[in-house]
Amino acid sequence: MGFLVPAFLAGLAAIGIPLLMHLRDRNEETPTRFPSLMFLVRLPIRTSDRRKVTDWPLLLLRALAVAVLVFAFSRPFIGNTAEVQADARAQRVVIALDRSMSMGHGGTWAAAQDSARALLDALGNDDQVALVLFDEEATIAQSWTRDRAAVKAVIASTTPVSRGTGFGPALRVARSALISAPPGRPSIALITDSQRSGLTGVAGLELPAGLPLRTITVGEVTRPNTSIRTVEARRVVAGDRVQLQVQARVLTRDLPAARTAKLTLTLAGREVGTRSAALAQNGELTVVFDAVAAPSSAVDGLVTIESDALAADDTVHFVLPADDALAVQLVAPDDVTREETLYFERALGIGRAPAVRVERRRPGTLDAPTYDRSALVVFWDVAPPSGAAGAALESWVESGGGVVVLVGPRLAERRSALAGVATPGGLADRRAGGGATLGEIRDEHPLFTPFRSTQAALMAPRFYRYARLDAAVGAEVLARFDDGSPAVLEREAGEGRVLAVAMGLDVRESDFPLQPAFLPLMRRVVLHGAGHESTPLWRRTGESWVPNGLRREPVIASPSGELTRPTTGGTKPAVILEQVGVYGAYEGRVEGTARDRVAVNVGPAESDLTPADPNELLLGVGESADSTFRGVTAATSIELESRQRLWRWLIAIVAVLLLAETVIASQGWRGRARRATIVSPERSQA
Amino acid sequence: MTAPSHERLLDPALLARISDLPLLARTVVDGFMHGLHRSARKGLSLDFAEHRQYQPGDDLRRIDWKAYARTDRFYIKEYEADTNAGVLFALDVSGSMDYGSAAINKFAYARMLVACLAWLSQRQGDRIGLATFSDALVEMIPPSTRHLNLIMHALGRAQPKGEGKLPLAIDRVADVATRPGIVVVITDCYDEPTSIGRSVDVLRARGHDVLVFHLLDVAEEEFPFENAAVFEDSESGLRLPLKPDELRERYQTLWRAHREALEKRFAAGGVDYVPVRTDAPLDLALYTYLDLRLSRSRVR
Repeated sequence: MGFLVPAFLAGLAAIGIPLLMHLRDRNEETPTRFPSLMFLVRLPIRTSDRRKVTDWPLLLLRALAVAVLVFAFSRPFIGNTAEVQADARAQRVVIALDRSMSMGHGGTWAAAQDSARALLDALGNDDQVALVLFDEEATIAQSWTRDRAAVKAVIASTTPVSRGTGFGPALRVARSALISAPPGRPSIALITDSQRSGLTGVAGLELPAGLPLRTITVGEVTRPNTSIRTVEARRVVAGDRVQLQVQARVLTRDLPAARTAKLTLTLAGREVGTRSAALAQNGELTVVFDAVAAPSSAVDGLVTIESDALAADDTVHFVLPADDALAVQLVAPDDVTREETLYFERALGIGRAPAVRVERRRPGTLDAPTYDRSALVVFWDVAPPSGAAGAALESWVESGGGVVVLVGPRLAERRSALAGVATPGGLADRRAGGGATLGEIRDEHPLFTPFRSTQAALMAPRFYRYARLDAAVGAEVLARFDDGSPAVLEREAGEGRVLAVAMGLDVRESDFPLQPAFLPLMRRVVLHGAGHESTPLWRRTGESWVPNGLRREPVIASPSGELTRPTTGGTKPAVILEQVGVYGAYEGRVEGTARDRVAVNVGPAESDLTPADPNELLLGVGESADSTFRGVTAATSIELESRQRLWRWLIAIVAVLLLAETVIASQGWRGRARRATIVSPERSQA
Repeated sequence: MTAPSHERLLDPALLARISDLPLLARTVVDGFMHGLHRSARKGLSLDFAEHRQYQPGDDLRRIDWKAYARTDRFYIKEYEADTNAGVLFALDVSGSMDYGSAAINKFAYARMLVACLAWLSQRQGDRIGLATFSDALVEMIPPSTRHLNLIMHALGRAQPKGEGKLPLAIDRVADVATRPGIVVVITDCYDEPTSIGRSVDVLRARGHDVLVFHLLDVAEEEFPFENAAVFEDSESGLRLPLKPDELRERYQTLWRAHREALEKRFAAGGVDYVPVRTDAPLDLALYTYLDLRLSRSRVR
């Protein structure tokens, strides 16, 4: 038990006030008027008696109220007094050191190390420090210690990593470090180049109220930098050959002067092209390399630019996936003409990554080998098989296959369910009214997401005749005509899905094939139906990667050659991409060609070295009365306040005492005395 | 619902709520007179009222012999009550009168008393006047049958203040009240009985009948204060720190001695002395006054 403000205890001298009040003639200022004192002046008066305390209970009550009030103002403290005293002296500093890629610019890292050492040297012998290293993520590199040499050693052995910057994780880890801190005066020192991009994720972060957060910004104010922001690589058809077209976007910031830089394209470890780019002081430039011959298999490459002060962002790795065409089985009835399916087949034939290879089939010719080498089966106005063949189709769908049923006039009158997704209910003829349009589209669905900003393109086509569909149980309507009839339905089955499309794909039934949205939507229907996800050329550090094509004993080789054998636990293996370069996934042993590969680069935001004002960081950080802080960092105002709640009770006691004083002083003979102590006429007559 | 008793009607605490003095006086006097025998209102006087035939039992001395000579019949000569008696109310308006521990203070009681007496006198046909005083005369309204309204207004604006010097004030009243009559002094008698007595003797010597109403507050009699306090004289402002509980008995002794001295001195001077407590009904004072008024008539 102690007092936070013991100086207030001097206020106990105020107890003398009620004592003096009781000793003095309290009625001196408000005398009792009396008609005449002609008789009283004749009487001898002993004035010394009036200096005695005559009302001890009231005096003690008032003195007690004053004393309790003084104690309340002295802020009594419940807890370990030694802790409180230590709290006033010892510092508990979390040094959060930025080791992101941008810290490697010029002498920024050396300045950061010097700042951290200077901070350590300024601490006293009783002070303790914890070191948090952070980039996109943060980790406690050194727990609480008085050994400053150990902390300096950790700082010396640390180098910038190829990762982005995130102040949010840094502050969260620093806060958690403070929870385990010994009692003392806590604070956080953030040593960073204060990249504005690092502010992402700070909003909503709360630190204990009153916790000092000091930001030490290192690095030059203006840091010139040239970086390759992104790389695009795609296969193009040139005559009968497939070539690789690569282009890179180069970003320059704060260059002292415009200059020319050389960019190099390397594929499969071999330099295949160079380009010279004239760079402005500030700006963005797209550099297109000459097309080169490309294998159909996956190929990894990199684009580099001449090194500058920050070399880490001068190279971008990428892996171009194999040119595996998507096999689509188009099952059409015997009476269908080539003109009917012309637009659909042409639409699928255009486009790469992936290319779509359409195989035309007659109904009833689908078998297991066909399913195995197919990604999607499209039934063109013909019913999917039933019975045993239907069961095989359903089994294939559940294992990841896709089915699209295009419902036209032939199927419109069929009153039985189609692949469990929809039941036709007749043909709607809207030719008289100029045709129907799509009235409702689930633009949040992956099928329509690419059209979210151009939804009008999907509303433009006119549909003259279309089948009225009823959604089967478990099917979801993704789009409707303007009369409410479903236009697109989907049923998910296992890892695959079944789509039913009532939109006429024939120019006789609608003008949709002539509309701009036709080609991308058909391609989207096929890719979505086949469950195909586009593979990015590269991923960012910190992302999780799930390799494809691994069936047993997965082995992941990092760019530095480290091998990781992730445990799958019944699911696909996943690995966190820590390093910049190309990761390879193998089965059993690392030999031969990797089953899957992925390129990893630092996020382009890290190359933006624009500094933020430290106040912006502080503005984003809120204050909280974090209960987990209780008992750890007694020095915070919240903690002190929580331990001093006794004063509130004391104030309440004072209020009760004063209330009691009021009641006592106004009752009995005291109350009569205050009211001039006049007796009533009845009493006088008695 | 029972009718209010006569005593209740004259309760000073109740009457103090009536701010209109003429109304108050009329209410009190009418109520008071209602309880008296009507014959008491007619008395002997030098002012002829009417003749009536002699009836057996009448005083033979009251037969109008001149009327008998003219008419050969016995007539009894009747007279109006005293219509030419002058009544001067001398009201103490010193600061000590502004004191009251009960519902009404001494000055308010005195003002009601004067108003009622004036109204009563007016109904008797007396000439009435008013003199207010503290250490000297404050206001003087000579006795007249037409001065009732003036008196009421003067009472309404009178304020108790200043130091009182009762003997000196009575001397001044004696100077201005040259025509013999009745002088009714309403005061709290805060002065030496011998000094007051000497001044009253002067009034008596000039042919006045003197009636002194000594107004008392219960706190003045009993001194019921208990806590130590500073007491301040209402007139002089003198302050005394006192412990009343220790002084009470001695104070009451002095007070009783003062009262007894006043009684003896006034009795010796032929002055009617009536102590009146402010919590007592007004009828006590009215009876006393009416008794004095009638006895004076009998004397004439």
